[in-house]
Amino acid sequence: MDRFKKTALLTALAEGLKKRGSWCGETHLQKATYFLQTLQKVPIGFEFILYKHGPFSFELRDQLTAMRADGFFDLHQQWPYGPSLIPTEKSKHFRQQYSRTLRKYGKQLNFISDKLGKQNVSELEKLATALYIRVKKSSQSESQRAKYLHSLKPHVSLDDSLRAVKTVDGIVKLSKGASA
Amino acid sequence: MPRCYGVSWPRVFDVVTAPENVTDSIRTLLPQIKKTNELQYWRRVLRMAALCHDVGHLPFSHAAEKELLPAGWDHERLTREIIYSDEMQEIWRKVTPPLRADDIVKVALGPAKAKSLSFSVWEEILSEIIVGDAFGVDRIDYLLRDSHHAGVAYGKFDHHRLIDTLRILPSPGTEAPALGVEEGGLQSAEALLWARYLIYTQVYLHHVRRIYDIHLRDFLKAWLGSGKFSTKLESHLRMTDNEVTSGLLAAARSKKSAGHDPARRIVERDHFRKLYERNPLDVKKNAEAASMIFEAAEKEFGSANLRLDRYPPKGGSHDFPVLLSDNRIVSSVAASSVLLNVPVIVAEFIFIASDLRDKARAWLDANRTSIIKAKRKKNG
Repeated sequence: MDRFKKTALLTALAEGLKKRGSWCGETHLQKATYFLQTLQKVPIGFEFILYKHGPFSFELRDQLTAMRADGFFDLHQQWPYGPSLIPTEKSKHFRQQYSRTLRKYGKQLNFISDKLGKQNVSELEKLATALYIRVKKSSQSESQRAKYLHSLKPHVSLDDSLRAVKTVDGIVKLSKGASA
Repeated sequence: MPRCYGVSWPRVFDVVTAPENVTDSIRTLLPQIKKTNELQYWRRVLRMAALCHDVGHLPFSHAAEKELLPAGWDHERLTREIIYSDEMQEIWRKVTPPLRADDIVKVALGPAKAKSLSFSVWEEILSEIIVGDAFGVDRIDYLLRDSHHAGVAYGKFDHHRLIDTLRILPSPGTEAPALGVEEGGLQSAEALLWARYLIYTQVYLHHVRRIYDIHLRDFLKAWLGSGKFSTKLESHLRMTDNEVTSGLLAAARSKKSAGHDPARRIVERDHFRKLYERNPLDVKKNAEAASMIFEAAEKEFGSANLRLDRYPPKGGSHDFPVLLSDNRIVSSVAASSVLLNVPVIVAEFIFIASDLRDKARAWLDANRTSIIKAKRKKNG
């Protein structure tokens, strides 16, 4: 996927998250893009590793910064957190040129925005990490995955880890149902 | 280099792990801080990682690394290979207690360049000390050193104050431990990040410096037998700036030598001249302005007379935790409008052979608007 299609998809995703109440910082976009790519199989082509607040893509980080430089996102202060990434008017006009791509992946964008738009950064970290573990350790039980999540992210309690693992399993089930 | 201009890499480690600077919650999440033996081990790892961090650099550092190494290689991979080499493993084994090469690689390169290794939160923080986006000591060091040697003031800031105020803090929102600063160091952090912006725009991305990188790349592609540097460690370590400079002078003198033209351009300072530079007005109209002008210019003046140079944006917003004087912890970008507004570092240049410069400038003046206005056919 070329960088302009990615630009159209990422600004559309940011709009979708914002409409559902997200203040849409970089972490929101990182985790939502991870879900979009991993769960919804949208071939956006970023490599994710386990890093800041869960799955993280350095390529996506650079792409978001390039989009700011090109005038597709503005940064806004969001006390006491990191900045919001707000899609600009320019991005709206730009998306019109990519209506086919956005139609093609509209269902997937809506699904992810619906599921993650209301989640805060702390929840997103847990859910995205739980999905990452589910992909890497698909044969493990819920409690094994929860223990693993807690070991990777010691600031996430074991109870919260288990809740995240169960929530993600539910989202995966819904996702399969939605795509059937 | 472990210490340059007063920047001591282990000092950062000592500051952020000092008992008086660590809260109970961080101590619980990072138990290494409580164990003296472990701290000593990791302090040594950090020191070795700092020493090895740049050993994989090619002659003339970053110049055209991507084009001059085989696919899948970069200087970080060479660094990694050196750390894992038999010679170095022997050194790691002789230290008491012995050091694990994996740990040195992780701390020296960080998660972005050591993707196959999994990092604990503690290891992430240690690698941040060296390669971190906001205030990795590698960055602190090169800003100060390059400012000094280039004879400019842009890269200077109060690094002593910054280092003294570095802390490991819970991130706002997630509580994940991360490298941050006390409120008193925020202005020093602002100064660092502005210094970085200024030295990039005024020195590293100066158009004359950039075109010399391109001529050097063109020379090396022709001069190196296979068009690439060797990734065999012996050959890599033997190929220094001296070998390249000597080859460059010889090629500049002999018209029959491979790479004569770019070598001559460097030696005689007959470099290509700037025809176009990315600017906000053109980008506002069309984010692809530079490449569209380049394509049109190629048709007009021929590929051999033109070079397109791009420095794409890298890194994210300058977001790290700040400990306020009332003990609240907030994002640096929430606490500082200065950090929110540091511009993105990006550059695009089109260069043209010096004898065509005036003609090309006149052509660009006459055609710029129509070239930028023409939209590519989107297939989206």
